[in-house]
Amino acid sequence: MKEITRITIGLTLSCFFAALIMGAVFVVTDKPKKQNEHQHVQETMLGLLGYGSQKPAPQELKFYPVYRYIIEEKGTTYLGYMVPVKSADRETYELLMLTLEGSLVQRFPLKISPEHAVAVSERQNALKEVLPAPKTFAYQDQTVIARLGDKRVAYLLPGEFTGFKTFIRVMLALDPQFEIIGLEIMEHEEDPGLGAEIKQNYFKNQFKNKSFDRLKSLTVVKDPLPDDYRRYLDAADTINAGELETIRNQYRDKDIYALTGATISSRAVTNGTKNMVKRFAYRIKILDEVIAGKQIPALI
Amino acid sequence: MAATKKTNTELVFNGILLENPIFRLALSMCPAVGLTTSIKNGLLLGSAVLFVQIFSSCTIAAIKNYIHPRIRIPTYTLTIATWVTVIDLVLAAYVPGAYKEMGIFVKLIVAFAIITMRLEAFACKNSVSASFWDGIGMGIGFLFGMVSIGFVRELLGAGTILGYDVLGFKPLLFFILPAAGFFCVGIMMAFFNYIEVVFNRRKERKQ
Repeated sequence: MKEITRITIGLTLSCFFAALIMGAVFVVTDKPKKQNEHQHVQETMLGLLGYGSQKPAPQELKFYPVYRYIIEEKGTTYLGYMVPVKSADRETYELLMLTLEGSLVQRFPLKISPEHAVAVSERQNALKEVLPAPKTFAYQDQTVIARLGDKRVAYLLPGEFTGFKTFIRVMLALDPQFEIIGLEIMEHEEDPGLGAEIKQNYFKNQFKNKSFDRLKSLTVVKDPLPDDYRRYLDAADTINAGELETIRNQYRDKDIYALTGATISSRAVTNGTKNMVKRFAYRIKILDEVIAGKQIPALI
Repeated sequence: MAATKKTNTELVFNGILLENPIFRLALSMCPAVGLTTSIKNGLLLGSAVLFVQIFSSCTIAAIKNYIHPRIRIPTYTLTIATWVTVIDLVLAAYVPGAYKEMGIFVKLIVAFAIITMRLEAFACKNSVSASFWDGIGMGIGFLFGMVSIGFVRELLGAGTILGYDVLGFKPLLFFILPAAGFFCVGIMMAFFNYIEVVFNRRKERKQ
């Protein structure tokens, strides 16, 4: 009896100390960690639009995130879009509650600034004020709309889908006609040397310039990647402009060439991207119609 | 086993060659087989293990008198898990560049046999400073093993070294696949044993 007590106390104490250390480290590192992640996402978004340290983004380029929620009330499901709006010369958010068919039910002005809307908890609090129980809401995803002045230049879609092993998190850039500008793999756990090659330029750049119509029927082919195309995908800046144009047009409507030894990962990325774009195109059309129809001063 | 009588240099050397965790002790074979598809992977995982090994060894050596012998294994796991979490969080917060590369490897370390084994076999019987040097030796030994397997597999499987194309073609794609890890480790283990046999024979002849 005495020994079991000592063991219990010993284990409890060690767990307690371990928890204390980990908790303390978490508290200290949480803020810079989130900042790093946020910065990484921002840099990726700029990178996809072709801006970087060598070519800084213009001042007028602004990102406006739209957050999508599912709202439930007495067994009925609604869609909730948190849309950035301009009211009294200040940027703030408004929640648009839509039926699943896409007609506007109600508008809720929110008391939240764009800076605060980045944090999940702040959004949660602001939404709770306008959606009291019995209404419930759940966060679905976000879309970032890039505007240059008051012209829409791109959509940036963070997304997640199943890969060969676990989830693959990506960031997709589309132009206003839903043609793919670029694809970036943010996080994945595919096998190094095989599925992990999805991160390489010669795979992910194959999605560039695929139009919306082409994307709908995009599949994966198991043919070897042609040499000139590979050179173009890996380092487009080393090829002269005329040749670049020829290669781009030649392979523009081709399917995706699978990675050697990682067909499942290649297929997962292709289908995941396809579904993301198709769903997004459907949703944004509805949202745009609502915004135009009701003349909402939306900033998107 | 009583406290070690080896000097610090001997401890380090011991970990790198005489008791190399991969080739001599045959510990932590899972990462040695699964993750060594390139030199870079081996290097990143090896250095992550090096740090966790040093920190965990020192911690256990410092608190060894307070651990009840029957719960020592859970305590080791807890110690390793704590250090892995701490390193993971600190890297993510202050060295985001390195974290982007090393993040997935650091999280794997909790389950590695090599660290638990060194805590059980060495750190819980020796002083903090001896454990520190043993940790360095074992960590570098593991790093060395990972990098050398990675070198062979990357060269044969992908025809590259550290990502640079040296052969211009892929001799044996098979070497990138996990199963080839076993062949590779086996062949290298045999090679190390052979060197030892030759070495010992020469020693005998001299005497």
